[in-house]
Amino acid sequence: MSQNAVIVCTWGEDQDGLPVGAEEVLHIGRGLAADLGTDLAWLVLGALPSAAPETAGRYGVANLLQVEDAKLESPQPDALVAALAAVAGERSPRALLFHQTQASRAVAPRVAGRLGDAVVMNGVSADLSGECIVVTASAYGGDTRVVYEVSGRCPVIAFIANAVVPEPGDGAAVAAEALSVDLTGVEERVKIVEPARFEGPRLDDAEIIVSGGRGLGSSDNYKLIEQLAAALGGLPGASRPLVDDGWVDSSQQVGLTGRITRPNLYVAIGISGASQHMAGCSAAKTLVAINRDAEAAIFQYAKYGIVGDALELLPELIRAAGAR
Amino acid sequence: MRIVVCVKEVLDPDAVNNYAVAGRLEIGDDGKTLTQTAIPRLMNGFDEQAIEAALRLRDAGADFTLAVVSAGESPEKLLKHAAALGADEVVAIQVDPGSLDYHLVAALISAQIEASGGADVVLCGRQASDDDQGVVPALIAERLDMSLVTIAKAVELEGTTLRITRVTPDGDERVETACPAVVTITNELGDPRYPTAAAKVKARRVKPTTVTPDDLKLDADDLAPRVSVTRQFVPEVQGNCEMLQGDSPAALADALIEKLRADSII
Repeated sequence: MSQNAVIVCTWGEDQDGLPVGAEEVLHIGRGLAADLGTDLAWLVLGALPSAAPETAGRYGVANLLQVEDAKLESPQPDALVAALAAVAGERSPRALLFHQTQASRAVAPRVAGRLGDAVVMNGVSADLSGECIVVTASAYGGDTRVVYEVSGRCPVIAFIANAVVPEPGDGAAVAAEALSVDLTGVEERVKIVEPARFEGPRLDDAEIIVSGGRGLGSSDNYKLIEQLAAALGGLPGASRPLVDDGWVDSSQQVGLTGRITRPNLYVAIGISGASQHMAGCSAAKTLVAINRDAEAAIFQYAKYGIVGDALELLPELIRAAGAR
Repeated sequence: MRIVVCVKEVLDPDAVNNYAVAGRLEIGDDGKTLTQTAIPRLMNGFDEQAIEAALRLRDAGADFTLAVVSAGESPEKLLKHAAALGADEVVAIQVDPGSLDYHLVAALISAQIEASGGADVVLCGRQASDDDQGVVPALIAERLDMSLVTIAKAVELEGTTLRITRVTPDGDERVETACPAVVTITNELGDPRYPTAAAKVKARRVKPTTVTPDDLKLDADDLAPRVSVTRQFVPEVQGNCEMLQGDSPAALADALIEKLRADSII
């Protein structure tokens, strides 16, 4: 592999045989590498996702690199940071790109810290200005975009899931090349005593989501959200105030500091449309807003809107959704 | 034992959002700063919850010195708030905020921690509600060679072991790590307390220890910014919502469900 490549870094694998967000970041990486006149590489830490070779071909990846090590079998932060820093040290990449997840949010800045390089999170796009990589990132929960000029050898950049729509091309599958990295000295300093027990389907993967906000009035009314979600074959979600007030579990929070979702249908009921919330649902293919306030910001994002009382509408929606 | 909490002053994110929602958020003449003077400045909410996490450790009987540190132009107001809440030391790192990038903030705070007796635990908010970057805690952990635990909603201390509940996409996760460690706190920790009136009065007399980048003897590489803001703008929202009409909730509900069926969405 040539030096100076733009390297997309991933670990893990989702049900589609790819890490979540891999295609989006490969899409961004392909554009950035072309602007820089350099190669795009894809670095996989741990097991190779089953769809990686074909996907690499479709995004013009020159080198699909894989670091396999017992310590990367179920990758933990210390091993990931050490492996990434080692590869970066050896290959002198022009940039390291990540899909932003809770895990990469902790790993990517540590890699930047270890390398002494720039780091930007919440990226939505990356361009070139002269020799400088310029990253546009979301700020103020999505109310603004900040354009950062990043200097130095190897900026570390993480992109949010719904920033782009990936456009795969055609290209032959790329065979993975094994890279070896010495992780013998690495011990995980944080021990998982009780793993998160994931039960049932996750909002992140849901095709239909019905979310409620403060406009529901009281916590008892949240059950109507659950009933409508069930009637539509989807999952219930919530805006942050409901989590802060203890109405629902934090695993149901949609938004910048909660789940970032991308369903086919998102129904927002009694939610004003604060950008903090929109950061978690604006990638929905169809957004429906129901709000008492005709001026609520949520309508700016919606395809269909109803101005009305959530508590009057919800029973009717449950009925209509159930009727055939 | 010594616990350091890092705090940042931000524009009230709710006020910023209200302006944004009303379509009246403005960027100043420099093209990168929000200049609306009506937006109050306050302590980043997640940072306030990081102080709360430290106070809960104290409530549970842990014995430690609590230092609260902030870098910026004039962080006195929030440091007085920290003092009123029970901080034993408050430290202002005086620096032009325009020159700050995340590496420099982390370098300044790390150098201050090292110069003032170190830290067993560094608590930070999960991210600042202005730039949402959340990278400074990780950079501090790297600089000080501490372990890092992010997105914590509960922190307990037993001897020199931290027992932490993290919020993850798959539910809560319980982890343990040995001090020294950097821990970032999320909103699920719950509401921070208010200082008592008496503590507020007492805190008025508190003078923060002031340090400058020169005092901290950073080298040229530490001081060189790696990231600079060139522009800030307000993204456009499309806004072509079809408002459904109907005489009754039932008619509105039927109209919506029909639309969604016609579009093959459900």
